[in-house]
Amino acid sequence: MRLTSKTRALAAALFLSTAWPVLAETINIEDVTGRNVEVNAPVKHMILGEGRQIYFLAALEKEAPFQHVVGWRDDLPKADPESYDAYLAKYPEIAKLPTFGGMKDGTFDIEQAVVLKPDVILMNVDAKTATEEAGYIEKLAKVGIPLVYVDFREKPMENTEPSMRVMGQLMGKEQVAEDFIKFRADSIKRVTDVLDKNNPKKPVVFVERAGGYSDDCCMSFGNENFGKMVEIAGGINMAKNIIPGTFGTVNPEQVIASNPDQIIITGGNWDKYVPGGAWVGVGYGADLKEAKRKLEALTKRPAFTGVKAVEDGNVHAIWHQFYNNPYQFVAIQEMAKWLHPELFADLDPEATFKELHARFLPLDYKQGYFVSLKDM
Amino acid sequence: MAVSAAETTVTGREQYRALAFRRIVILVLLTVALCFSIALDMALGPANYSLSEVLSALADPAGVAAQLRVIIWDIRMPIALMAVTVGASLSVAGAQMQTILSNPLASPFTLGISAAASFGAALALVGGVALFPGAIQYMVPLNAFLMAMAAALFVHFASTMRGVSVETIVLLGIALVFTFNAALSLLEYLASEQALAAVVFWTMGSLTKATWPKVWFTAGVLVVTVPLFMKDAWALTALRLGDDKAASMGINVRRLRLQTMMIVSLLAAIPVSFVGTIGFVGLVGPHIARMVVGEDQRFFLPGAVICGALLLSVTSVVSKMLIPGAILPIGVITALVGVPFFFVLIFSNRRRAW
Repeated sequence: MRLTSKTRALAAALFLSTAWPVLAETINIEDVTGRNVEVNAPVKHMILGEGRQIYFLAALEKEAPFQHVVGWRDDLPKADPESYDAYLAKYPEIAKLPTFGGMKDGTFDIEQAVVLKPDVILMNVDAKTATEEAGYIEKLAKVGIPLVYVDFREKPMENTEPSMRVMGQLMGKEQVAEDFIKFRADSIKRVTDVLDKNNPKKPVVFVERAGGYSDDCCMSFGNENFGKMVEIAGGINMAKNIIPGTFGTVNPEQVIASNPDQIIITGGNWDKYVPGGAWVGVGYGADLKEAKRKLEALTKRPAFTGVKAVEDGNVHAIWHQFYNNPYQFVAIQEMAKWLHPELFADLDPEATFKELHARFLPLDYKQGYFVSLKDM
Repeated sequence: MAVSAAETTVTGREQYRALAFRRIVILVLLTVALCFSIALDMALGPANYSLSEVLSALADPAGVAAQLRVIIWDIRMPIALMAVTVGASLSVAGAQMQTILSNPLASPFTLGISAAASFGAALALVGGVALFPGAIQYMVPLNAFLMAMAAALFVHFASTMRGVSVETIVLLGIALVFTFNAALSLLEYLASEQALAAVVFWTMGSLTKATWPKVWFTAGVLVVTVPLFMKDAWALTALRLGDDKAASMGINVRRLRLQTMMIVSLLAAIPVSFVGTIGFVGLVGPHIARMVVGEDQRFFLPGAVICGALLLSVTSVVSKMLIPGAILPIGVITALVGVPFFFVLIFSNRRRAW
C-alpha cells in the first residue's frame, strides 16, 4: 500500500500547487443549457472549447485577452484567418498555445485537458451531444474541472446575452459584460425601432452564399443565419420558402423568376482555397476597389440576367464570416442601410464597428467588411 | 431429312430476327422516353414559361426577351444535356467494367476512380493545391481528373503484371477506394468550415456546374469511345462466356481487357471531374440495359447509353421539381429515383439477371 499513499501524497501536492495561490470563491453559475455549475471565480486558467469564443473573451479582457487561456480549439485560423492573423500579430505567444482538434466530433483529448489544469472548460452548445456521449462531464468532474456551455451560434438572438453574462461572471467582469450586452442591444434596436415605427415596404432580397467560390450558382440561406439577419434588417429573404434547412441551393432560374429588389453576396478572402477565384474578397482590411470589381463581374452571370437588383445597382457584398460572428449586429445595421437607404440615412454602421473596437476590443478597427455597387 | 433441316434453319433465323426486332423496338422506345425526359427538363422550371414560349426561344433565340433566352439556353439546356452525356458516359463505363471484370458489382467506382477524383478535388478545395500548375480556374476538375487517371493507371499497370487475375484487380480497386476515402476524410478533418462545405457539396454531385464547353467535352468523349467499343462488340460479348472460350475464339483477352479498362477510365473520370460524384448510374444503368435487351453488345452497348442517360435525365427533372425553386444534389436523388424502378425490374424478371 506504499504506492497508494505515495500517489495520494502526489495528488495532494498537485492539488495544493494549483489551489493554494488562487484566492477565489466558489460561485454557482447557470449556463445556457440550464445546468447549475460550481466554479471557482474569477477564473485564472481556462480552456476554450472553441477558438472563436475569443471574440467574446476579448470583449471582456481588452488588455490581455489570452492571459487566462491555457488551451483552445484550433478553429479560429481555419474559420477566420484574418482575425487570427491580427491577434497573432499583436499576441505572438498564441502560436504556442496548446490546441485541440475538432471537439464537435467528440475527439476532444481529455487527457491533455486534465494536464492543463484549467479552472473551467468553456464549451459551445454545438458540442453538447458529442461531449455527453463521451461522458466528459463526469470524467472531468472527477478531477474537479467544471464544464460550462455557452452559445453564440445555434440561437444567437436568444443566447448571446445569457452567454455573455455567464462569461462575465466567470471572469469577474460582470459590468463589462453588461456594457457589451447593452451596446449590442442598442445597435440592433437602432434598426428595429425605426422599422417598427415606419413599417416600410420590405424589399425581396436574394442572399448568395459565398458567390463565386465555385462554378455553381446560387447557394443561399433558408430561414436561419443570414436569412434571419436580412429579415431583421427589414427585408424579405427570397429563399426562405424554398430552402427547407439553413443552407441549400436555389435553382439559378429562380433568381430570374423571383426578380429580387436587392442582392447581397457573402464573400471573404479565399485565396488559400480558390486562388484567383471569382469570390469577392471583403474582410478585415480588404482592398475594396478590387472587391467592387469582382462584385460587378459576378452580376454578369446568367442567373442575374435582367434582375431588378442588378438593373438598379442594388448589389452588395458582405463579409461571409458574419454568419457565425458575434459582431453580426453591425452586419444587420449595414444591411438595413442598404435595404432602406432613406430611412437609415443617418445610420453609420462603420462608426458602430469602430466604437465596438475602441470600447471593447484589443484590435484596431480596419474597414473592408462591406462593399456595394452603389459605393463611389 | 434435308427438308426438315432446312425448316429448322428457317425457324431459327426467324426466331433470331424476331428477337433482334424486339430488341430494336425496346431501344427505340427507350430513346423516345429519353427525348420526352429531355423535353420535360427543358420545359419545366421555377420561371413557369409556357410551352409556346419555350419553343419560340428554341426556334429563334435572338427574337425573344433576354431573360427567356438565358433561362432556356444558358441555364436549362446545359443542365438537361449534361445529365444525358454524364448518365450515358457513366453507364457505358459501368457496362464495360462489368463485362471485362465479369463481376455484376463492378462500376466505374469499383476501381477507385471516383474516390480518387473526390480526393483530387478536395486537394484543390481544401489546400488550394494544383496538381497541374497553370490553369488555376480549372484547378478542381483538373485535379479530380488527374487523380482519377492516376488511380486508373495504377490499376492498369498492376494488372499487366504476371499472374494477376480479374479478382485481384477488383480487390486492388477496392483497396484504392478505401485508401482515397481515408485520405479524403483526413483532408475534411483538416479543412476550414468553408472548404469542408465545398468538399461535401462536391462529393454529392451537382449538375448546376454544367456549362456548354463541359457539355461538348463530355459529348465528344462519348462520340470517340462508343465506336471503339462497337468495333470490339463481338469480342466483348464473347468475353462474357469466360476467358478460355473467348481465347479459343481467337480473342486476345488480355489486350482487350487492358484496352477497355483505359477507355473506361477516361469515360468515368471526365464526367466525375466536371459534376462531382454521381454513383448508382454506373452500376444500375447497365443492369437495366442487360435486363431489357440482353447481353449481346450490339444491343447492350446502345442500351446502356440510353438507360444511363434516361436515368440521369429523369433524376435531373426530379431534383429540381421536388422542392420548387431549390436544387437538390443530384447524387442524392439518383438512387431514390433509380432504386424503385430497379426493384420492379428485378422482381418482375424471374430470369437470371446476371
